[in-house]
Amino acid sequence: MKFVLARQAAVVAALALLPAASEAIYFRDKISWRSAIPPSEMVTVEQTRGWGDTAIWVDARPDEEFASDHVPGAISLNEDRWNELLPQFLTVWAPGKKIIVYCSSLSCNASREVARRLRKEAQLSDVFVLEGGWEAWLKKNR
Amino acid sequence: MNQMPNAEPARSASHSDAGGRPTLNVESLAAANTSNVKYQKSYTLWRILDFVLAGVFIFAGLSKMFDLDPLFAGLTHLRFGDALVHFRQLSPASPLEFANGIDNFKLVPWPVSVALAFYLPWLEIFCGLGLLFRLLYHGALALLITLMVVFTLAITAAKLRGLDITCGCFGHASQHWSFPSHLATNVAILAALLALSFSNRLRKPL
Repeated sequence: MKFVLARQAAVVAALALLPAASEAIYFRDKISWRSAIPPSEMVTVEQTRGWGDTAIWVDARPDEEFASDHVPGAISLNEDRWNELLPQFLTVWAPGKKIIVYCSSLSCNASREVARRLRKEAQLSDVFVLEGGWEAWLKKNR
Repeated sequence: MNQMPNAEPARSASHSDAGGRPTLNVESLAAANTSNVKYQKSYTLWRILDFVLAGVFIFAGLSKMFDLDPLFAGLTHLRFGDALVHFRQLSPASPLEFANGIDNFKLVPWPVSVALAFYLPWLEIFCGLGLLFRLLYHGALALLITLMVVFTLAITAAKLRGLDITCGCFGHASQHWSFPSHLATNVAILAALLALSFSNRLRKPL
């Protein structure tokens, strides 16, 4: 009986794999396996090079990390002091400017959250998350 | 599939005529018929529960793959024309939202959340179909019980860790459910699945 149960469960589980795999192939461009951010909202350090003054860098890391070092010209905007820092950020922002948000590394979530809030709460467009975050920027620039 | 108890009329040597020919035991036959009626009633009730649970899991799977809100809004307000229009316009939803929902539990890394976002809805649908058509029935039931135990533990752990989660259990429909409603729904479904499992163990295996 136990063997029958396990065999039946394995068959059902395997059957479900087939359409799931097809769906994964269908959505391959719309969802990233590496990060929760869709590929269209993510930029690499190389891509940002050509943006120059048309981009605003936003540091989503905690205050202490921002104070110790950050991308030149970056503005601190983290979730701990969101209400306080957002108005300061908005004074710098201008329509048409691209916003690049970064946090510590590939695995951090802060940049994703700040980017999401900028889009939803501040109703801003052209908000991107830097792939690899501060670590990636450091590697390419220092 | 399922054995019908006492279906054959009882015959015994003690109930024979003078010529030794067997006669029908009327009392036993009546008892057998009563037993059959009871059995059929109980079988029908368990089948209804099969259908209800199958519907729940097929709906749960589909609601993660399609935005069914407008369709159900049309149906619940008896605007069948609107519902039909929405049904025709159904398009596959991005699994990103469900993957984010799983990721919010902070139990598995992002790639696993994505894999589960693709896999879980189909697993629920196939298990639901298993219950509905009684195909691979025991396997489907065992998988659903396991899933419900894992879901219940996950939402309880998230609550204990103070995470503000939106359960994607039934897609958009369950977006604003409170923790007690999540828990109550999960426990009720789990109890129904266990009851089905227990009832099926009493019967002949499929």
